[in-house]
Amino acid sequence: MEHKDETIAIEGSWNLATWQWKLESIALIRKTFDTMMKEHKLLANKCPGCGLVYFMPKPYCRCLSIPDEWVEIKDTATVTTYTFTGAWAYEGISEDEVSGTPLIFAGIVFDGSDTMTVSNLEGVDPEDVSVGMRVRLKWPEEVTGSLTDLAHCVPLEE
Amino acid sequence: MAKNEVAVAGVGLSKHVSKRRDVNIAELVWEAVNACYEDAGIKPKDVDAFATGNMPAFEGVNMPEEWGAGHWGAYNKPVLRITTGGTTGGSVAHGGYYLVGSGLYDMVMCIAFEKQSDGNSTMGLNTVALADAAAQLQLGVDPSFIAAFGGGAVGVAVYQASSYMKSSGCTTNHLDKVAALCRNNAALNPYSHLKQPGLTPEEVAKTTLLQYPIRFGHVCPATDGACAMLFTTGEKARKLTDKPAYVLSCASASDEAALVGIAGSGTTNVDPCEQESCKIAAARAYEIAGIKDPRKEIDLAEPYAPFAHQLLMFYERLLLCNEGEAPSILDSGSMNLEGELPVCPSGGVISTNAIGASAMERVAECALQIMGKCGERQVKKEVHKAVAHGWGGAVNLNVVAVLSDEPRR
Repeated sequence: MEHKDETIAIEGSWNLATWQWKLESIALIRKTFDTMMKEHKLLANKCPGCGLVYFMPKPYCRCLSIPDEWVEIKDTATVTTYTFTGAWAYEGISEDEVSGTPLIFAGIVFDGSDTMTVSNLEGVDPEDVSVGMRVRLKWPEEVTGSLTDLAHCVPLEE
Repeated sequence: MAKNEVAVAGVGLSKHVSKRRDVNIAELVWEAVNACYEDAGIKPKDVDAFATGNMPAFEGVNMPEEWGAGHWGAYNKPVLRITTGGTTGGSVAHGGYYLVGSGLYDMVMCIAFEKQSDGNSTMGLNTVALADAAAQLQLGVDPSFIAAFGGGAVGVAVYQASSYMKSSGCTTNHLDKVAALCRNNAALNPYSHLKQPGLTPEEVAKTTLLQYPIRFGHVCPATDGACAMLFTTGEKARKLTDKPAYVLSCASASDEAALVGIAGSGTTNVDPCEQESCKIAAARAYEIAGIKDPRKEIDLAEPYAPFAHQLLMFYERLLLCNEGEAPSILDSGSMNLEGELPVCPSGGVISTNAIGASAMERVAECALQIMGKCGERQVKKEVHKAVAHGWGGAVNLNVVAVLSDEPRR
């Protein structure tokens, strides 16, 4: 084997299944997802100590109390921040050549909750998106009880 | 407040480039450590203890300080290893401050580095987010769906940039100006990575849009590099050098994780540009340093800004002006090398980002500017007090250090 005096790479892979996880939030999030699927509702958990409402639900509050009260929140929300995809998403095509609407992602806070969720914003041009804009969850035709159910939002006409 | 006066008596930096294939981690770090020994005029035997840090996940080498001990002169000496993500180097400097300030050790060599070309930093960031990703996989979410929501540092930064622009009135033109300012400063710094002398905001504006509002020209490079600093007591520093840089204070604060909470839960940190923990850390650092009005008393700032908007955002969060004023201060020219409060004279993280080293290089630049060792990039005004900052952790930790040309009276 030829030796060069420089850094080299060696082929191989590591097995993720050798690690163990305890994911304390899963049971709570599962409950929220199941309620979305069965009752078409958004369930959040509320902290008895400071009143903060977590969506997705959280096992413990930042005030260190246990948020053990389940509350229904609305499916309308306010945009707190956003971004849209640039030219990289179009495999190197330059910006002026891009046609159609880029993917818009928004940080949103659902009405009745105090936490941020990220969702895809549809039915609006990027230049018309703004922080503070009102949106509503676009429920999928078939609710599957997963994060993908929350993946799409549209502007709210009030 | 520290029991002992703490001062920086020497600084060493390696060459900073994208790929150092000719050296391994220990050899790269040695370049900085050796430069620091020479700058301080000491031998390895004079050092009492070491504090080191990097993000091992990025290189894929765990406990590199054990591997490097022989190379750096740390055999049979105490070694404290500190790793806090993007803030790592800042936290290592804090470690040096605590080790000397507590009175436990007199001469402490602080070492921070990253050799990104040895590994894959995106892969490394995935390991940071593994618990969150594992939770989502457990819930049956497709991995490509998780990725599409913009993971990694850019994913966090774009959301932060949008909300900062809304709250401050910062425009994309200001982002272009920040990039041009930093890359021009970097051109005067022999230890910087991306040197672009004469770069104009107009040229930055023509670079590819990665993800609104961040363009290619607004983002840091991935760098191989190392930084070493000798922390010692005020008394010893005065014997080693005519002009030591005193570390008046260090403070840090950790907030709730931003963007998505731990393991898929919600986070009440709903505005990624608020950075409450930076304001808390800065206020604490100024108080310990005896600084009453940072706007008047701070002469120079090295905020941690791998993305253009962060230079302005953290300038505000370091309490150097009112919120929303930084863009107009940039326009006034005050942040330039010859300005009233120069910002990132080193060229900043946007020009050079050896991640684990970056937050310590902010402290190092403040020290070098105070010591008057910056050559072409030495700022015009005399620097009495400077503030260094780091941002990282799970994008929730802020670290701040205040340096001065005089010990606290």
